[in-house]
Amino acid sequence: MSIQAKPLYSVGVPMKRKEDPRFLQGKGNYVDDLTFPGMLYLSLVRSTYPHAEIKNIDISEAMKVPGVKAVITGKDLEAAGLGWLPTFHGLDKQMVLAIGKVLFQYQEVAAVFAETRAAAVDGAEAVQVDYAPLPVVADPFTSKTDKVLLRPDREQKTNHIFHWEVGDKDGTARALASSAKRVKQRIWFQRCHPAPLETCGCVAYFDTMGRLQFHVTSQAPHVYRTALALVTGIAEDKIHVISPDLGGGFGNKVPVYPGYVCAIVGALKIGRPVKWIETRTENLTSTGFARDYHMDVEIGATADGKVTALHIATTADHGAFDAAADPTKYPAGMFGICTGSYDFPVAHSEVDAFFTNKAPGGIAYRCSFRVTEASYAIERGMDILADELGIDAVELRKKNFIRKDQFPYPSALGFTYDSGDYHKTLDTALEKIGYTALLKEQAEKRGRGELMGIGFSTFTEVVGAGPSKHFDILGIKMFDSAEIRIHPTGAGIVRTGAKSQGQGHETTWAQVVAEELGLDPQTIMVEEGDTDTAPYGLGTYASRSTPVAGAAIVMAARRIREKARKIAAHLLEVGEADVEWADYKFQVKGVPAKAVTMKQVAFAAYTNMAQNEPGLEATYYYDPPNMTYPNGAYVAVVDIDRETGETKVRRFLAVDDCGTIINPMVVEGQIHGGLTEGFAMAFSQEIQYDAEGNNLNTNFTDYLVPTSAESPHWETANTVTPSPHHPMGAKGVGESPNVGSPAAFVNAVIDALSPLGVRHIDMPVTRDKVWRAIRDADANKV
Amino acid sequence: MNIQHSGEEKIPVGFDGVWAFVTDPESVGRCFPEVLDVTVQDPTHFETTVKVGVGPVRGKFKLKVELLPDRPKRRLDMKISGGGFGSTVDLLAGADLVDAGDGATLLKWSGQAEARGPIAAVGGRVLDAQAEKMIAQAFGNVRQQLSA
Repeated sequence: MSIQAKPLYSVGVPMKRKEDPRFLQGKGNYVDDLTFPGMLYLSLVRSTYPHAEIKNIDISEAMKVPGVKAVITGKDLEAAGLGWLPTFHGLDKQMVLAIGKVLFQYQEVAAVFAETRAAAVDGAEAVQVDYAPLPVVADPFTSKTDKVLLRPDREQKTNHIFHWEVGDKDGTARALASSAKRVKQRIWFQRCHPAPLETCGCVAYFDTMGRLQFHVTSQAPHVYRTALALVTGIAEDKIHVISPDLGGGFGNKVPVYPGYVCAIVGALKIGRPVKWIETRTENLTSTGFARDYHMDVEIGATADGKVTALHIATTADHGAFDAAADPTKYPAGMFGICTGSYDFPVAHSEVDAFFTNKAPGGIAYRCSFRVTEASYAIERGMDILADELGIDAVELRKKNFIRKDQFPYPSALGFTYDSGDYHKTLDTALEKIGYTALLKEQAEKRGRGELMGIGFSTFTEVVGAGPSKHFDILGIKMFDSAEIRIHPTGAGIVRTGAKSQGQGHETTWAQVVAEELGLDPQTIMVEEGDTDTAPYGLGTYASRSTPVAGAAIVMAARRIREKARKIAAHLLEVGEADVEWADYKFQVKGVPAKAVTMKQVAFAAYTNMAQNEPGLEATYYYDPPNMTYPNGAYVAVVDIDRETGETKVRRFLAVDDCGTIINPMVVEGQIHGGLTEGFAMAFSQEIQYDAEGNNLNTNFTDYLVPTSAESPHWETANTVTPSPHHPMGAKGVGESPNVGSPAAFVNAVIDALSPLGVRHIDMPVTRDKVWRAIRDADANKV
Repeated sequence: MNIQHSGEEKIPVGFDGVWAFVTDPESVGRCFPEVLDVTVQDPTHFETTVKVGVGPVRGKFKLKVELLPDRPKRRLDMKISGGGFGSTVDLLAGADLVDAGDGATLLKWSGQAEARGPIAAVGGRVLDAQAEKMIAQAFGNVRQQLSA
């Protein structure tokens, strides 16, 4: 029999992405590409006021606009029992359309349905809303005073949403009190927005069977189906959610938005398909924002720099509704990862969240629920500690790293880190960046008064939510799933409960199946996003695809292998116990020449299966035993123009350890994308509100998304420490660069400015802020 | 965001002539910069549509205007509210009519506005300067009309 060697394209091979020809030729199939006969368009009337009572909504003029078919308001929805929408972690609810009052600028107030997109916009413009302005609460510290109660609809008559804490409060206080060195700094991770290039949108219609067909930009189609069934009362079998190609998500496409509900209501009420596509301004001003954590970081250490304790108290701005997409038991997400890569004997972390008159959200923007905030806090904190102790930032980190022999490592805040070799990852970075030479150059430049900075971030992430005993959304446990069908010719299809938004699942999942089954990945099709065909899963966010759905694929493939073994035994005319899987084929133990390939077995499964059950397919639901803990060592080198405050990122090196790498080219692409986002947050992006609650960053001229022209050149490298509990050893990488890089950039800027006595600048470190810091430092010198 | 401006226009017409003009809704309405139409409802109320362009934010504003004349005090206040393309403005403008001698009248005006929505987002960069220009233009138009 012929023997097939290891498949050319399997795990570890930089196979070109199968989806790219479609995307690069403009042939992707996005929600806004869909058109159905008789389709109407929805446009939303949005509040211009951040906080106001609604005195009256007059739709009469709107109904006169040619093409307008219907207008619905919050009162209409309330009457139908659809006035409010539960938020994903189930701790709050959100108005679909404003009822009684508006709580943030650009809040959805009325929905206008019309024959054309233009008519819908004109109709929305013609809706007259009379507002009576109320006092505005534009920051969480004002909110804390409860002088203006924002949410009288809630039982608790306070703006305080929750207090969450983890760790040993008293032990931490005692350890800090007895520490030789204590540093304290308020560090703000500003409000950001994921700003996917494709905004959110949907098309909803009821088919001839009365079944809701819902095409939507969703990172979690199955969760949407269940949520819609719960909210609308439509039986879940009568709901079909299809998430087609997505132009980025980054967490922004996890929540269910009012526009979706309005589109469904419109389709039901009018009996025609309804399309809703957000404008850029609507996306930036009303859908899930990220961060907005004010973190009071305190670190204790011995005089020679061994850390003794960590305390972080955070004031969180959640906006008008508590719509943070966190797992139910984790209102502050995975913020407990704030001890980072360091061996803190004791720690305590607490988060208090408040309502404000700002857009709701607090989504996991390319991070596993508040991990970016936590990583930024500890990585900035460690640099401040190094600075105050007069110890090199690298030396301080190495002194405090969790050692390789300490894994599995129980952190002071309750996580069990799976694996890592932090010293090796950092040493790789130091060698590749040429740290010794950079230090020499920096010393020379400082001698000439020039500002050069070297910044590090040696972060640890926690991703892959998550084990069912801890993690759920709306009560649904955070497992994920895969179904694999191998066809008679050895081609196949894999479906998962995850949903790619550009991560390259069509390629990497095919490689995983190819690796496990010895098949050609070019003939393994990947399908996601269709709730009628895909097994139930919780979707793609929080770097959970590879750790959870990826593991399900491996396990499903191994189930197929077990079945295939029986057929192979039949073909090889030996007992099953005499067949082993080796070198990507079934062979008779001790007689490697006597072997059959999976392709041969697949054909036999449909043509010559003997007494075995026909077919070759399997499904697996994977409940991860633990989270995975990718880590990295990032280095930024910056030069700052003393006269203008302009920062130039001269070099940036990312050394990532994401465990087993499925496709190095896809991983590198993920890292480039995430670093570009980190660069944007560090230097420019912020959703700002003025004191009156006006959103000041409503478009891409005010909220900058860097292109390749502005972005630095990215250097990347890897170390590989497999996860011991993942069936393939993979940890996931999608979010590491977004999580790890902001601190490296800011640490580099502060390092450059440290000879002037600058200790901290909050992001974004714009040239304006840097210039002011230099000017103030110079003024103080005089 | 809040915007405040003030200024004055010297008009070569006596108080009665100026007063008659500025308390006539049609005349005042036509002095709004980039005005497209004026619909008078009663002697102290009118609606108007104006073209607005602030940076990249451009479109039509529909404004409701209420005139609040106080002849004994020789003062006219004006409440303007409205908006368009998802933006709103609330504007309170006032003018004192002071005898400037030689049959002329000094129009001492001040105005404060609150803007919300995309137009406010354009914010500190251009809105303030643009608002000042528009208010000054409005009172300049009053002078021009009366001088003609």
